[in-house]
Amino acid sequence: MTSLGTTPSVPSVSAAGLCLSYGSTRALDDVSLRLGHGVTGLLGPNGAGKTTLLRVLATAVPADRGAFTVLGHDPGTARGRHDVRRALGYLPQTPGFHPDFTAFAFVDYVAILKEMTDRSARHREVRRVLDAVGLSDVRGKRIKRLSGGMRQRVALAAALVGDPGFLVLDEPTVGLDPEQRMRFRELIATAGEGRTVLLSTHQTEDVAMLCNRVIVMAGGRVRFEGTPAELSARAAGRVWSSTQRHPGAKAGWRTGTGAFRNVGDPPDGASLVEPTLEDGYLLTLDASEVAA
Amino acid sequence: MTDDVGRTESRGAGWHVPEDDLRAYARGELAPPSLWSADTHLVACAPCRAVLAEMSDPAALDAGWERLDAELDAPRPGFVESLLVRIGVADHTARLLAATPVLRLSWLGSVVAVLVMTVVATNSIDPERVSQAPTLFLALAPLLPLAGVALSYGPVLDPTYEMTVVSPTHGFRLLMIRAVAVLAVGLGLNALASLALPSYGLLAAAWLLPALALTALALALTPRLGPVAAPGAVGAAWVALLVAAERATSGSSGISGASDPSGSTLAPFTAEGQVVAGVVAALAVGLLCLVRDRFDFSSDHRSAA
Repeated sequence: MTSLGTTPSVPSVSAAGLCLSYGSTRALDDVSLRLGHGVTGLLGPNGAGKTTLLRVLATAVPADRGAFTVLGHDPGTARGRHDVRRALGYLPQTPGFHPDFTAFAFVDYVAILKEMTDRSARHREVRRVLDAVGLSDVRGKRIKRLSGGMRQRVALAAALVGDPGFLVLDEPTVGLDPEQRMRFRELIATAGEGRTVLLSTHQTEDVAMLCNRVIVMAGGRVRFEGTPAELSARAAGRVWSSTQRHPGAKAGWRTGTGAFRNVGDPPDGASLVEPTLEDGYLLTLDASEVAA
Repeated sequence: MTDDVGRTESRGAGWHVPEDDLRAYARGELAPPSLWSADTHLVACAPCRAVLAEMSDPAALDAGWERLDAELDAPRPGFVESLLVRIGVADHTARLLAATPVLRLSWLGSVVAVLVMTVVATNSIDPERVSQAPTLFLALAPLLPLAGVALSYGPVLDPTYEMTVVSPTHGFRLLMIRAVAVLAVGLGLNALASLALPSYGLLAAAWLLPALALTALALALTPRLGPVAAPGAVGAAWVALLVAAERATSGSSGISGASDPSGSTLAPFTAEGQVVAGVVAALAVGLLCLVRDRFDFSSDHRSAA
């Protein structure tokens, strides 16, 4: 855990000073980060700049300023960008499909875009990734006949085709029911073995269950970078239980036991409880609002 | 040859994979579409499999089975895709083209419908005015390929655009593959429509250079104006140009008289107008080549933060 938790000594992805503005909105404001092997969670509220960061790292849009490398390739040059894209798997926030294609044909199409021109090798690879996401049985079905969870798995298969070293997943668990979400987490955890995965999500449980590192973004800036345990530890001594919602708490809610859980600066004699990742996340966001 | 026929007959009536094809298949050298026919047939035909086994060495046969296995759930290519492969397009390029929204039958159907209506309308005009240009047709024909190319690549109609743009296949290359295919189909349909207007002679083909000019100009302006505004602006400019030319022509034909056929031809369709269209097309192609790297990024810049 500790060896996974330290800052990656040889980062697969490293970015410095990324800035990107849309008109007067600073979507990315001096973002620097280092990603190593395993799954890194990217947490943040809506409009924090998560999708923009993912689109920049996936080379969909260039940053206004700053630079980054992926597996040693510099996407600032045409050749480097081509190399990055060869090593990239990308699941966009709202993945689109050609609805008349079958699951197999669609993943095959993405494999062709990834320059796999040898037909039989490509078909073997398409079968492999469809097996990996558990869709072998429906590979011949048209995508428009598949459920939302299955479509999301088709999109994951398309991201995995060609065995990319860097996987960018933009909120892949949104809209899935709890069982599908659990299944998807398993798939992402497996995908994180031996490659670098950047997973954007709203769900702190995704991070708690999957990620060996976590980045919190707000207002286009990185507010936290560390392990999930370190994020939880930010709330150490700042979460307490009471019979009433404490007026001084940054956040407080009634839990299933009937007691109130308060996050913030506890009063003297408060009965402190063990902090969770969510508590650390809430306090980090609160601090960033103050800073902004 | 005799032996070939004999062996084929021993496999029963109906079509069987020719022995030359089976030999190539065993060596892994059979190319689509014959490969697909062989794959499909071998799944269902035990006698052909037996013949294949006789002529194959075991290692090659294993490789063949493995490929056949992968082939079993391979997508059956659609109409457009198999047509493209049959005329010699590589199967992966055919797939890229099959994913082009405007190469669907629905789009082609609407283009054909528009052209047929235009041709019928043009032919039903008073025969005394036949020496004039088929203005409606010439005005409309360049807009069809323009719209087709505009809709063949980009975030508007390609639902997989975001995945496509970050693929190693360069955006400009994909754009060109699709644009050339869509243009070829669009220009071909226009040409057929021109043939249905024989009384106008060569004048019925005066849409060609404007079509190339409009399409190239729209593509060249796309990185600056975006995938919707660029073809929109170019299309609007074309219509505005025709309206202005119409005003100028009707003004002058009032003096020279309606009996003068050249007086009723709008400026873009005269010899001078065609030269201008050709020059615009050439310049636009040059500009397009200069900005080609701009197609390597998403044009959907203003998407959610």
